[in-house]
Amino acid sequence: MNIVVPIKQVPETSNVKMDPETGTMIRDGVESIINPLDLYAIEIAIQLKEKFGGKVTAVTMGPPAANKALKEAIAMGCDEGVLVSDRKFAGADTWSTAYVLVKAIERIGEVDLVVAGERATDGDTGQVGPNIAAAMNLPLATYVSKVESLTENSMTVERLTEEGYEKLQLPLPALLTVVKEISYPRLPTLRGKQRAKITDIPTYTVADLDVEENNLGLKGSPTRVVKIETPKVTRGGKILKVVDDQSLNEAVDNLIAFMKMKEII
Amino acid sequence: MKYGKVTKEIIEQLVNILGEKNVFSDEEKMESYSHDETPIEQYQSMPEVVITPTSAQQISEVMKLANRYLIPVTPRGAGSGLSGGAIPLFGGILLSVEKMNKVIEIDYENMMIVVEPGLVTNEINGLVAEKGLFFAGYPMSLETCYVGGNIAENAGGGKAVKYGVTGQYIVGMEIVSPIGEIIELGGKIIKDVTGYDLKRLIVGSEGTLGIVTKAIIKLSPLPKFRTNLLVLFEDVDSAISTVPKIMSEGGIVPTSIEFMDKLSVHTACNYLNEHLPYQKAGSMLLLEVDGTKQSQVDEDAEVIGELCLENGAIEVYVADNYTTQERVWSVRRNIAEAFKVYSPHQSLEDIVVPISSITKLMPMIEKIAAKYDIKMPSYGHAGDGNLHTTLVKNPDSTMEEWYDIEEKALLELYEAVKVLGGKISGEHGIGAKRKKYMDDLVGPGEMAMMRTIKKALDPNNIMNPGKIFDLK
Repeated sequence: MNIVVPIKQVPETSNVKMDPETGTMIRDGVESIINPLDLYAIEIAIQLKEKFGGKVTAVTMGPPAANKALKEAIAMGCDEGVLVSDRKFAGADTWSTAYVLVKAIERIGEVDLVVAGERATDGDTGQVGPNIAAAMNLPLATYVSKVESLTENSMTVERLTEEGYEKLQLPLPALLTVVKEISYPRLPTLRGKQRAKITDIPTYTVADLDVEENNLGLKGSPTRVVKIETPKVTRGGKILKVVDDQSLNEAVDNLIAFMKMKEII
Repeated sequence: MKYGKVTKEIIEQLVNILGEKNVFSDEEKMESYSHDETPIEQYQSMPEVVITPTSAQQISEVMKLANRYLIPVTPRGAGSGLSGGAIPLFGGILLSVEKMNKVIEIDYENMMIVVEPGLVTNEINGLVAEKGLFFAGYPMSLETCYVGGNIAENAGGGKAVKYGVTGQYIVGMEIVSPIGEIIELGGKIIKDVTGYDLKRLIVGSEGTLGIVTKAIIKLSPLPKFRTNLLVLFEDVDSAISTVPKIMSEGGIVPTSIEFMDKLSVHTACNYLNEHLPYQKAGSMLLLEVDGTKQSQVDEDAEVIGELCLENGAIEVYVADNYTTQERVWSVRRNIAEAFKVYSPHQSLEDIVVPISSITKLMPMIEKIAAKYDIKMPSYGHAGDGNLHTTLVKNPDSTMEEWYDIEEKALLELYEAVKVLGGKISGEHGIGAKRKKYMDDLVGPGEMAMMRTIKKALDPNNIMNPGKIFDLK
């Protein structure tokens, strides 16, 4: 079972400051981390390997510093890492990124399963996973919350929908994008870190991949960013204050009335 | 000692000294000054008037006035204390330093900062970080607590193994003495044996010997990199016996060595829905190493990790980025919250013993917990021998039963600590909460010396009276 996990390095955003004038993020001193949702993809890939044997390869496109993300993925239990890095890839949108990643995955070799995170916390598009599936002509299951069964040439998964769950059977090879519900990412161990330290990570550049230059980087990207603005928060809220038993009862009554009005109860 | 009441005339005189907006006595506004982080139902006490002075001169005049009318004065920082030190037990004047929150000077050449006592501790770090400096002696509540309170309690924290406690960084200060004199102690100097080290006497005196109105703080180079190790052990012994080896055999002084016993680990992990394989763990260590070079930090972490494995660790996890570091620290930070779900009534303790005695202490604690049918998780700063053993009320017992159990169990805990050569508070202080145990647990000679100092400096016993010990 050969599994590839495309991952992304993203800025750690919980302590991030925004430039009030430009509306963009102040990147100075911001740490780069593995996209938190990709950790779930890594985890389920490792679990499947542990159960069915095979190999997990993490692949990322990014600057040389993205090596750190791959080392962390190997420390968690991935077997190998591949860095796809070239100045010519800079500024790629989701389509161009997927295009290059597909070429990289093809170079890695025979693949039975590609597992990606649901979306990245920076771009928030959730497009790269499905894009890869489309370009490779793989059956796709998005928002996967559970892998029910796996045989040599097919798998059954449960996916999260707005109303509940959907069960899908996919022939292999296939691509899954996974949600948090699927598992709990493990922490890297000392032994894992030591293994990652001595594992060589090959870098694929433009020269190593069968790519057309017209499809690369900013100029190969059909997406145009016209304007970036911070959305205004329009959600209002009402706080029911409770100071004593009487106000507690009133607050509960108000809450019940509100939920009935909204047809929640 | 019979204290005077705060009369209308006294309030008028306070207004004359401080101005109207710095004096108030309406109940509603004063309520938040009547307690700290100790259980409100046990330790709350209302002041008669709250004042918010803006200068040492004003405080000096207030102290002179208070001596004339024998009004107790309770100094207060952010109110995040854990021993009731800032609670006005006898009413009187509550003196909040909240408006004295300025940075007076940042002296980069000497790597020092001069601040007023009402400055939030973490603001120092925000100001000097860009110059690659930080204040190393801060406690875990650094985002809310004030510098003045840190000095009064000689606060420690999660990084004391390597960096020590607040007092080590206070090289000088200005204080107003209990009789109203403004006095400078120390200075921008690292060494000073020019007479008694009085600034160190003020540090940790819990506001009973004077009010700090200015502090000169030594800054340290800010480490650029840090790595955490979360280590699961089968039992307490294997975890604690590893601690001294890290320093002696490994030759490394970690920034933090935090310990969590089985009960703490299981309760916090369960509360956080943390799926670490903690079920087998009988205890856990959380270590941090920091430094200016990534390679050095990595190497130190590896040496420590290997030592842990040699000492029977079940597993060593490495956290060297934001995601994983938040995850491992949240286990430690959420212990108190996790137990509140089980029972909101607790007594958070702060015992400190020689590091190697922790293994002897743990079974003693288990016995006390079993005897009184309460939970007693222990967690805290293993590298300092400082444990926040917590007494958690059995939800089935009444409050009356709980108060009775709390007092008896505390005394047994403290006696166990004493037998092992430890003390009842490492960083939270005695305050109002623990003073009744002082005479039993501290030697008579030491207590006499403390009382002599107090009487000499505060002849009318109006400076935060009723804290640490009662005068005989």
